[in-house]
Amino acid sequence: MANCAEAYRFICDNLDEKLDSPRCRRIRRHLAGCPDCSTLLDSVKKTVTLYRMMPVPGVPSGIHETLLKTVKKLTASSHRGDAPQSGRQKTRRRPGGHTR
Amino acid sequence: MTVRRGSDRPDDELIREAVGGSTPAFTTLVRRYENTVYGFASRVCRDREKARETLQDTFVNVYRKLDTFDGKSRFSTWLYTIVANNCLMKRRRRKIDDLLESLDEAPTGSGKRQPRFTEWVETPADLLLTRELRSVLDRSLKHLPPDYRVVFVLRDMEEKSGAETAAILKISEEAVKSRLRRARAFLRTQLAPYMEREQE
Repeated sequence: MANCAEAYRFICDNLDEKLDSPRCRRIRRHLAGCPDCSTLLDSVKKTVTLYRMMPVPGVPSGIHETLLKTVKKLTASSHRGDAPQSGRQKTRRRPGGHTR
Repeated sequence: MTVRRGSDRPDDELIREAVGGSTPAFTTLVRRYENTVYGFASRVCRDREKARETLQDTFVNVYRKLDTFDGKSRFSTWLYTIVANNCLMKRRRRKIDDLLESLDEAPTGSGKRQPRFTEWVETPADLLLTRELRSVLDRSLKHLPPDYRVVFVLRDMEEKSGAETAAILKISEEAVKSRLRRARAFLRTQLAPYMEREQE
C-alpha cells in the first residue's frame, strides 16, 4: 500500500497520465482510501485546468503592423548586405549564405 | 498543375525559399507563427512590453539563423527554443528556488484528525470569468521563477509532451519532470487560499 508521501509525489508527476504500472495501481488504491490525497489530486488538477483555460493573447494589430515593417526592413537590408540589428544583439550573418 | 497559395505551403518549402532570399516566403512564416510566438512569450514573460520585444527579437533571430535550421526537429520546436532563450535571462538563485525544492515533500498536517487539504470549488470555468481570479492566476505565475514557469507553460498550458519540452529547453526529461512537479505544487499552494475561501 502506498503512503501519502508517495502519493503526493506521484500526483504532481503524473497528473493526467493513465498509467497501469503496479505503482499506479498502488497509488490508486491509496487514493481510494485517503480523502486527503484525493482532495490534493483534485486541487492540482483544477490548478492546471484554470491555467489551461486562461485566454491566449493574439498579436495586437499595432504590434502586427510593426512586425511586418521590421520584416520588410530586415529582408530589404539583407538583400543589400546590411541587415539591421535587433535591440540587444549584433548581426552575425544573413540567411542565403548557402542553399540547402 | 495546382498552384498553392503561400499560406498553404509547408514550412520546409518556405524556409528553403526564405534562405534563398524570398521576402514573401519569410513573411508567410512570420504570419503563420506570430500568434504562437506572441502567445507563448506573453505566457512566459507575463508582461506585454516584454512579449512585444520578444516577438520582434525572435523573428529577427530566426531570419538571421534560418540557414542553420537543419530540419531535424519541427520548425515550431526550433521557434519555441528561440523564444524561451529570449525570455529566460540569467539570474541569481533566489530564495523562492529553495521554497520550490521544499515542495518535493508532502506537507505534514498538524494532527491526524486534521485534514491537510481543503476541498476546492467545483466550477473553475465560472470562476475564471472573475477579474479577481485572473489576477490571482497571473500573479502566482509571475512569482514562479522563469526556469520553472517556462516548463509549466510548455507542459500544462501549451500542452507539449515531456520529450518536446526537454528538446525545446535542451534539458533532460527528468529535469522537466522535477520542475513541473515543483511548479504545479507551488501554483496549487498559491491558489489554495483563494479557492478555499470561495467555498466558505
